[in-house]
This record gives sequence, C-alpha cells and structure tokens, in this order.
Amino acid sequence: MMDLLSQVVANGILLGGLYAVMAFGLALVWGVLNIVNLAHGAFIMLGGYLAWHLYYIVGLDPFLGLPITAVVMFALGYVVQRGLLNLIVRGPMFNSLLITFGLEVVLTYCAQLAFSADFRAINPVYAGHSVSIGTVVIPVVRLAAFAVALALTVGMWTFLLQTRLGRAIRATAQNLVAARLYGVEPRHLYAVTFGLGIALAGVSGALYGTVSQINPYIGASLTAKSFAISIIGGLDNPLGVLVGGLFLGIVESLTTLYIGPTYADVASFGILVLVLVVRPSGLLGKAA
Amino acid sequence: MKPWRSKPWRIAALVLALAAAAGVPWYGSDVLIQFGINALLLAVLAQGWNIIGGYTGYPSFGNSVFYGLGGYGVGIAMVKWGLPFAAGLAFGVALAVIFALTLGVLVLRLRGHYFAIATLALSQVMAAIVSNVPLADRNIGLVLPPLNNDPFFYELALGLLVAATLCIYVITRSRFGFGLIAIRENEESAAVMGVNTTLYKVLAFTLSGIFSALAGGIHAYWITFLDPDSAFDISLNVKMIIMAVFGGPGTVFGPLVGAFFLSAVSEFLSSEITSIAGLFFGLVIVAAVVLMPRGLADAIRNMHPLGWRYFASNVRAHRL
Amino acid sequence: MKLIPAYLRTVLLPALIVAASAGVALAQDIVLGASVQLTGPVANTGRYYRDAYQIAVDKINAAGGVKIAGQSRKLALKIYDNQSDVSLSVRQYTQLVTQDKVNLLLGPFASNFALVDSAVSEKYRIPMVQGGGASDQIFDRKFKYIFGTLAPASNYFGSTVEMMKALKPKPQSVALLYADDAFDVSVAEGTRPKLKEAGFNIVVDERYSTNATDFNSLLSRVRSGNVDVVLVAGHETEILNFIRQAKSLTVAPKMYSFTVGVPSDDFRRALGKDADYAFGMTAWLPSPDLKDRWFGDAQQFAKEYEARFGYAPDYHAASAVADVEAFVQAMEDAGSIEPTKVRDALAKIHFESLYGPIAFGENGQIDLPQVVIQVQGDSLAAIYGAKGFIQQPKYPMPAWSAR
Repeated sequence: MMDLLSQVVANGILLGGLYAVMAFGLALVWGVLNIVNLAHGAFIMLGGYLAWHLYYIVGLDPFLGLPITAVVMFALGYVVQRGLLNLIVRGPMFNSLLITFGLEVVLTYCAQLAFSADFRAINPVYAGHSVSIGTVVIPVVRLAAFAVALALTVGMWTFLLQTRLGRAIRATAQNLVAARLYGVEPRHLYAVTFGLGIALAGVSGALYGTVSQINPYIGASLTAKSFAISIIGGLDNPLGVLVGGLFLGIVESLTTLYIGPTYADVASFGILVLVLVVRPSGLLGKAA
Repeated sequence: MKPWRSKPWRIAALVLALAAAAGVPWYGSDVLIQFGINALLLAVLAQGWNIIGGYTGYPSFGNSVFYGLGGYGVGIAMVKWGLPFAAGLAFGVALAVIFALTLGVLVLRLRGHYFAIATLALSQVMAAIVSNVPLADRNIGLVLPPLNNDPFFYELALGLLVAATLCIYVITRSRFGFGLIAIRENEESAAVMGVNTTLYKVLAFTLSGIFSALAGGIHAYWITFLDPDSAFDISLNVKMIIMAVFGGPGTVFGPLVGAFFLSAVSEFLSSEITSIAGLFFGLVIVAAVVLMPRGLADAIRNMHPLGWRYFASNVRAHRL
Repeated sequence: MKLIPAYLRTVLLPALIVAASAGVALAQDIVLGASVQLTGPVANTGRYYRDAYQIAVDKINAAGGVKIAGQSRKLALKIYDNQSDVSLSVRQYTQLVTQDKVNLLLGPFASNFALVDSAVSEKYRIPMVQGGGASDQIFDRKFKYIFGTLAPASNYFGSTVEMMKALKPKPQSVALLYADDAFDVSVAEGTRPKLKEAGFNIVVDERYSTNATDFNSLLSRVRSGNVDVVLVAGHETEILNFIRQAKSLTVAPKMYSFTVGVPSDDFRRALGKDADYAFGMTAWLPSPDLKDRWFGDAQQFAKEYEARFGYAPDYHAASAVADVEAFVQAMEDAGSIEPTKVRDALAKIHFESLYGPIAFGENGQIDLPQVVIQVQGDSLAAIYGAKGFIQQPKYPMPAWSAR
C-alpha cells in the first residue's frame, strides 16, 4: 500500500509540473496586464500542433524544438496583442474576457479547418521510457516536463526581478502613467508581455503533446485548469504558480486514489473556491 | 419631440411587439417557434445576469449553476418522484435560492475578476458533484417524459421573459435598484451612505438565480434530456454574458435585444454557412467588442449623430 | 428606415433574416436529412457519418436510384452541422422536416444526440434510422419512429469474455474501468454478470469521469494488484491516454481490451507501434463475406471509401451506409415514400448488406454480435467470433521493454 501511495504521489508531482508550465503564461498576462485570457488553452493547443509539425515534418525532437516553438508563439502573441488586444485595453475590464472568448472560438475553428479533428500525439522514441526509483516508476517524458517547469520558474523569476525588460514590465503593470514618464513605450511592452505569455503557453502545448493527445477542442478545459492553478498559487510570483501546480497535481492524484476517479474535478475546483474565499491572493501571494 | 418618441407611442409599440411575439405559435413556422423558445430562454438568462452583472457590477460566471439546479430540480422531481412540472420548477427555484443564500454570501465578498473566477469554479464544482449524485443518475443524465407542445413552452418562456424584464424595470425605479447601481459605481461609498451592501448583493444574486433556474427548468423539460455537462455548461454562461453586454448591460431592454440579435445571427449562420458558422460567430464577437464595447444599445443611440465614425471613436477611446 | 424607431429595427431585422432562411428541396428526388457533428469535440467521428451517407447515396444513385412503383427516383442528401450542440441538433432536425421538407431522416452520432433527436422524428412521424447511438435510453421510450443500427451496449464485451474463457493460460483477475456516461455504464452493467458467470475475479471495478486525462492512479492500482486482464469502456481520447500512460508507467497486463478506438484508422495511427497487442471489438469488418447489393461486398466498399476519402472506414461508416440502404430497401418493400408506410416496412425489414444482416428488433434496435479484434503489428486481425477462434491472438502481452 505504501508503494502505491508513493507512486501516486510521484504521479501527482509530475502532473503538477506540467500543470505549472501550462499556467505560467496565463498568470503572467493576468498578473501584469490585467487581461484575463480565455483563449489561453487555445494557444496551448496551437503550440502543440506546432511541435507536432516540427516533429513529424522536420524531424525536430519536441524538447529540442522548444526554443523554436517558443519564438514562433511569441511572435504570434506579440501580433495578437499589438493588433487586437491593445485596442480594448482601456475599455471596460470585462471586455478582455469577451474578446478572448471570441478569439478562442476563432482559433479553435481555424484549427479544426486546418488540422481536422483527428487526435495527434507526439511520440518520440523515448516517449514510453521510464526511470525507476525503488518501486516508483517515473516516465522520462514527464520528468523532462518537470525539469522544464523548474527551469521556467527560475528563468521567469530572474527575468522579472533582475533584467531591465522584466522590471519595465512590472513597472508598467504597477503604474501605466509613471512607466510612460520613464520612457517606456506601453504598446510595445504590452505586446512583449503577452508574447511571452503565449510563448509559455506554446511550450506547455509541446509538452502536453508528448504526454497526451492534441485536438482542436482541448483548449477550454486547459484554460480552466490554468485558472485554477494561477489563483491557488497566487498571481504575484512564478514560484506561486509552481506551487499551485504541484498542489493541484497531488490533490487530484490522491483524490482519485482515495475517494474515486470521478471526484478529481470536485477536489480541484472545490479547493479553488476555498482559496478564493479564504485567501484570494493565493497560497504564495502577498495578502491583500 | 417627434410624436413617435413620446411615452404613449412607446408603450403602444411595446404592446404591439408583445402581441406579435405572443402570436408566433399561431402564425409562425415550427422552426420559428423553436428558435423563439431558444432565444427567449437565452434572453431570460441574459436579463437574469443583468441584475447581478449589469446593475450590481458583479460579473457572475455562476448563473449556469442556477440554470443547472433549475433543470435538475425539474428532472429529479418529474423523473424520480413523479411530480408535475410546476412542482419541479418550484423545487428548482428552491435549490437555486438555497445555493444563492449560502454560497452567495461567501463568494460575493470578492470583487471583479476574482468573483468571476470563483463563480466559474463553483459551476465546475457543481457539475462534478452532480455527476456523482445517484439521485440525479450521476453522469448518465435524466430522461424526462416527452411533451409534444412547443407552443406551451414558447408562451411559458415568453411569460418568463416579460416577468424578468418587468422585474428589472421595477428595480430601476426602486431604492433597491439605486442601491445596486451605487454598489456598482463605488461600493465603499455606497456602504458609507448607508446601503446594506451585503444584503443587496445577496438579494440581487438570488433574484438573478431564480430567473436562471426557471429558464433551466423549462429548457430541461423542453429538450427532455439533462446531464451535468449540458446543465452546467460554461459556454452557456459566457453566451448569456455576451448577449447582455452586447445589448447593453445595466439597461432594461439591452440584454433582450442583444440576446435576440445574436441568436438570430447564430441561427442564420448555422443554417446557411453551417460548417464555419462557429468561426463566423467568434469573429462577430471579436469585432463587436472592438467596435461596440458599450453594447448595441449605446451604438444605436449614437449611430444617428456620429454615423460610422462612432466605431472609430470607440477604438480610439479604448486602445492603449 | 428612420420612421421605424431604432429599438424596433434591431428586432425586426434579425427576425426577417430568420424567416427568410428557408431551404429548397428538389422536386423529384427523395431527400434524406441529417444533423451531424461536423465540428466540435466529436467531429472526428462525426465525419464518418457525413462521408458514409454521401458515398452510399452516390453509389445507389449510380445504380439507378430507388425503384418505386415502376419509377426510378434518385436520392439527395441534406446535412447540417450541429457543432456538437444537442439543442441545435433538435432545431436542425425540426428545420429539416418542416422547412426543408425532407422525406426521411438519418441520425447523428452519439447516444445523447440520438436520444434527444428521436423526439423530433416521433413528433412529426418521420422515421429516423441512426447508426450512432447504442444506449438503452434511446429505445426505452418505446418510440415507433426511431431505429438503430448499432448493437446494444450491454453486449459489447460478450464475445471478449467468451474468448477469455478459452485463453491459455486462463486469466484470473480482471479490472473493469468505465467512463460515467450512459453508454459505457450500460457496457459495464452488461459485462459484470458475464465475468462473474465465467468465473473471473473482478479486482478493480471503477467508474471514471468522461474526458479524464489522468489514469496514473488507476494504472498504479492495476500494477500493484497484478491484474491479468483490463477491460476499458470509454471514449477514444481516454483510451489513447490510458495506453500511453500504461506504457510510461510500464503497466502491461496479460491482455487489455477497449470498447472504442481499436477499429479506427486514426486511433492506430496516433499510437503507432504502441497500438500493438490491443484488443477491441467491432460488429463489422471489411470482409468479402459480407455481400452488398450496391457495393459488391464489404471489402470493395472499404477500398472505394478509402480511395475517395483518404482514410479507412470503420463500423461507424458501415453502420451509416446501412442506414441509407435500410431506407432504400424499406421504400422498395413498401412501394412508397410515405413516412408511415416506410416506417412499417422498416420494422419488418430483413436483408443482407455490407454491414451484415439488417433486421430491427421490436424496440427498433439491431442485434449484431461483436467480433473480437486485435492489433497485430500493422494490421487488424479478427480473432474470435460467434463460432469461436478465427485466428490466434497474440497473448499474453509482453512487458513494454520486451516488445
């Protein structure tokens, strides 16, 4: 029984890592730009398709191809923000929800038209391999995704706190007018931030494709998950997202084992509600 | 003032429109009646949302919970307990009220995005919980006894919409309504001025929930099938918000107009362009948010003096 | 325009749009109408129906169409995309009947759609033959105008359990995993007594959420319990996840069998080599033994279908073709296109098609036995049918590392 428990906990941690990567982009865009991106899952889906094509048409390994996926998705995000979302930024807060909803519908349908509704999976040679620690089996691909999650956490932290661009982004988030006074060009900066968020989404899509299947309709539920993680962890810092992801992954795995497989959603969203009601800034966020 | 803008004329026009709408089951085609039922129920949902989202300024993504509870109220009452439809509706409303009072108090302490996400999470939780409740037949869903009477459902939905709109009309002229608007504009000041914000918010949430539950109950009986996914469907919630916001939130007729317009557009696309209907609908939403962010009502009012420049001025006002 | 107040304009215009969108039916042709999921989450199965309906109609027309009372009439098809939205499918079927004035109705995919849409066919007394829903709920309502060409859910694992009894070494323990929707729950409810009767020990009996993506906990339990056989009743995406996660957790029971996916081309392609050894079942295989009036036999049909559409047909497609053929046969038997007469003819129908023998039970559902199939290398092999072993199965399944 102990063996089973440790396996399930390990499963939860690895799942959590993947969840965290999915949520990074959403948390960044929401925390910094105050844009609630309901199309986040659709961008994850697009990143997955991109990685799939890179693997099956160019032969590029999905992990090695992550930088390319990131760059292309960044460009996409930049264009979307600069060309579309910047147009509604100063409007009623609500409109970001609505426009990203519309965007989600458009992206999903375009994917359906371009790629059909068939399931695609990214199956590199090592996809089924695993490493054993005692009796616990750890799939290589999930371990790699976890490593990526850790790397991204550290990377984002350093970026936001140490680099000039990162600090400019945080400044813009705090105070648009003051940022302007410092010579920051908000339109460009907003677009860069959103681009970063989408690049992160794209990367998580590539990882998702190695672990599960891609089809045009996976976006909605992934967005919901990413929201849950962002809130639970707290929007203020990247470590919060990692913690939120891990927390959710472990809770879901344990719930499936001890209460029943049909209760996983009750647990994850129930905790989300609890966190919102008790501590809205999240587990690691600064108390309001 | 032009004669047809005066009050008696407006009332006459309204009565005429109502009579025309009520007469659809007689002169309309079967397709039109079904479209009508669907659009009317969506309009009720949009109006219900209007109370908590439009007037009170709390963007609820949880109205689908009330909708689902209403549907399951009717479903459980009719299928499991053999009760008549009216009893089912009452049961559904009771469930909605209990939910609004207990969880509403907790959730209404949050603002803006956080409130939205909390209500969204609640709808997911409810869907997940109901799919585990044996009384509701878990995730298999309930099959209700078929009733072949579209005109009945139509008139019922129409009646509900009239009730909802009247309710909002009365609210806008009451202290309760002013209190809600005050909460929306500046909650702290409202509290300082003596508005019992918690009571008002919970009341608004409950009222909004009652209408949503009734709509859900009617829909369940009409479609004769109910399962957690379709009952607590999140995209339905988004649709009702879009319709309310598109039409003009915080107005009496805005959501109604928004619901009908968007339903008609969606139905037209689905029957004419069929496969890419969804795509076009998404594009329409995106375009609408960019060009008409304050809703259709606002656009109509201002189109007259400004013409096409209205759209450009909107973009200029809201872009970064 | 200015004379009409603005607030009335916005209601009149869309009302006019809706009223104006009417379909046009060709005069002499017999029109078959359907609302199918062409977009939305189940679109990848929905397209089997659209393509199969089309190829059947085209083939029948090429052979001269339907012969009624000495006259030959052609078939026409009108298909709407219901975007995987149940409410919309109801309105579209209503539109097909009342506005487009189609003669007969073909079904959508999925049990919950067929269930709700059957209310339309019953209301207007126009028969609907659907090949997409197998759940008992559809036929429990005792409607007279709904017919189904998918075999009953409760018997899906029937032939599999029979086969398991004959395997050497005989398996002892079984894990039964099923999604929580109507169809899969019916499958589980039908399978449990069969397993008990055959003397198998059900050590894991778990219902999971539809669209679940994470099977790690369940798989860990299968592994720690050393389960011999795993039976999964679920949807394609869940089963894909299950197999891939089984590989990554090195869970390899002696045998596993799935209710969907295995017969389908895109499923096997998505898994690649990992699909090997997987068992499934199908009520249909493209065998030359299934003779057909229009296509010759099932094998020729499969070739033609793949040549035209670029992917191989599975039982969904064959079932859809059977629906069209059933209507044609019924119209010819009745000598009329009048809906009630066609309906009565359908109830008594009995003929051979590329899908197998077509006959509807009293409740309107067909009863066909399932054949156990297995992915063996690059091909799909028929293993066990009504008369016993057809071919030897690759059993037991080796550990993942030993493949």
